[in-house]
Amino acid sequence: MKRMEALRQAMLERSLMRGRFDRRAMFGVAVTIVAFSISSSNTRAPDIATGYSGRLISIQSMQTDFGDMCYAERIDPFERNAALPAGNLFNAFDDTAHAAAQSTGNGVEIARPPVRTIRDTYPIYSSIAVDTQFNEIALQDTNLFGIKVFNRLENTPAGVEASKPVRVIEGRETDLEYNNGLYIDPQNGDIYSVASDTADNLIVFPRSASGNVAPSRQLKTPHRNFATAVDEEKGEVFITIQYPPKVVVYRKQAAGTEQPLRVLEGPRTGLSDAHGMAIDVQKKLMFVSNWGNSSDYQVAGSGQFHLPSITVYPLDAKGDTPPLRTIQGPKTQLDWAAAMAIDPDGGYVFMANDLGDSIIGFKETDDGDVAPSRIIKGDKTGLKNPTGVAVDGKNKELWVSSLGNSSASAFPLSANGDVAPVRTIRSAPAARTSVKFGKPQAVAYDSKREEYLVPN
Amino acid sequence: MHALAYDSVHDEIIVNSPLAQAILIFRGGANGEEPPVRVIQGPRTQIQGTDYDGNDQMAYDEVHGEIYIPVDRNKILTFSREANGDVPPLRVLTGPNTGIRGSTRGHARVGVDPVHNLLIVTSPAAPGSGDGASMLIFDRTANGNVKPKSIINGPKTEVGGGSAAHAATDKGFIVAGCGAASICAWGINDKGNVPPRWKIPVQQITGVAPSGIALDPAHKEVIVTSGNRNRVMTFSWPEVF
Repeated sequence: MKRMEALRQAMLERSLMRGRFDRRAMFGVAVTIVAFSISSSNTRAPDIATGYSGRLISIQSMQTDFGDMCYAERIDPFERNAALPAGNLFNAFDDTAHAAAQSTGNGVEIARPPVRTIRDTYPIYSSIAVDTQFNEIALQDTNLFGIKVFNRLENTPAGVEASKPVRVIEGRETDLEYNNGLYIDPQNGDIYSVASDTADNLIVFPRSASGNVAPSRQLKTPHRNFATAVDEEKGEVFITIQYPPKVVVYRKQAAGTEQPLRVLEGPRTGLSDAHGMAIDVQKKLMFVSNWGNSSDYQVAGSGQFHLPSITVYPLDAKGDTPPLRTIQGPKTQLDWAAAMAIDPDGGYVFMANDLGDSIIGFKETDDGDVAPSRIIKGDKTGLKNPTGVAVDGKNKELWVSSLGNSSASAFPLSANGDVAPVRTIRSAPAARTSVKFGKPQAVAYDSKREEYLVPN
Repeated sequence: MHALAYDSVHDEIIVNSPLAQAILIFRGGANGEEPPVRVIQGPRTQIQGTDYDGNDQMAYDEVHGEIYIPVDRNKILTFSREANGDVPPLRVLTGPNTGIRGSTRGHARVGVDPVHNLLIVTSPAAPGSGDGASMLIFDRTANGNVKPKSIINGPKTEVGGGSAAHAATDKGFIVAGCGAASICAWGINDKGNVPPRWKIPVQQITGVAPSGIALDPAHKEVIVTSGNRNRVMTFSWPEVF
């Protein structure tokens, strides 16, 4: 128990390193590393000199879960389902593509459970969307793999652990994995979501969807999609692809393997590790945020690091079209900018500036190395690694979801500086910092500091 | 990103930059927005990712100070840890004699055993061969189009899996991901169609599949991530240390 408490403290209070090595130093890497200190204790396994013979050792598993939210229809999304397609995350990796057949030999199988597990049991929100017709907020949870829908006016009281969503879409049938890029159809409330690194699809749920339900529509997309935007006038859905970087545009109702109407892609576009996107249908403009990691995978040694940027194109741009303008340079404060949102009436484009712990706003007409006109940042804001942003033009609010503390906050659309939100929806206790795992595929052990290094 | 390493000798962290065809080396205590101390990147490096996985695999030998990077599906590049900038690799292991193949999504997996001077490459089956994956064991300094010293391959071996290969040096075990979402340990002198010496059926025990693997020899533990379940688990495995 002492060891578990030590680890709990380590996770809560220290050793959360979310490193970004870009921008000013001109070096970038699309990874964050979280370091977890591991205290030594007397509960370690006995040192048994077994040589090549097996021996079962009984060891108590010491889970480090922080607790769990209580939802009415809590689903275990991790339960294996043999009926799911091979590409589904909940089956992916379970059976390896090139593993040999089951052993028929005499190797020794060890059935002991893990001695420790690091896992976050609260949501980790990657994206947010606002439904102004039905007064709801949708949040994409990339830890429990679902979408949680809250009343727009929800405001978690102090002392309450977490607000309860009005609906939760979660479970094996949903195909929700490490999704991102939420969009809500302003007419019928349909929820759009893209799978950013695993399932390579765009999925759509009806507004009423709840529980472990299959999406009403799926569209196969290129690998590494990230953000969505929809031109409701023309009935087109835009999706950014991180790498090889491009913007693909489909019919809004496209499904299955339907091909895009057009693709913006090529060396003249200035796209490099494309992430967030927003469109202004009034001004016929498309904005894309780029992290700056660049290479041609077909050419060895062609990798380069560029400064992060926002590139601006005509709304109907396709092919290898250069940007109309590029916002780029040290004054911009771009710092792993994730989602984007447009306030067309005010003429601002807002960025969820992940590692800046800020929302930064540029004028739609900005160009070059310019400072943001608006910066929401500081202790009063409650922002922690914000990756989702949405504009509610009807109620003149700016919504932000924070990956780092399982929350979403509403600010006045005119907010600037270190200002408190008008409302905050929390899905975890106040002041709690998320573990921030995001598909940890690797791990290293720092023996000097007794820390785990976990890239995400 | 699917690989990183810690160098306890020089107190450094080695990281792939998946989309910019680079290797970054940071101080061991790096924190926040700290730039790397060295960057290996440029046309002479030959670093090349794939469209699907990018440049996302790596192994590190802290005894000899060398970085091993599988690229272009069937090449293993070796760099000095001191390399910086646009520098050529020290060695390039590739060619039909090596038997190294990439997967449908990306590169072969690589591990290194600096004590027994071995380079271990997990190579998927040739398409349509039905042979299953192979674990190819080379001399650590193998260069060019050379044959492996030995091959572990066959239906009993369970070779394969989504995890990077590693080497447990004290007792001469190779620890890596294997079939049925497990982690297995083979002996460095094993060859042919032999079962793993030890196996932890991670999926069966925990309900989640393993992804990455790291070894903690001092505490005789194996650390396992689950990329598709967002967690890190630690198994005591004194038998392999």
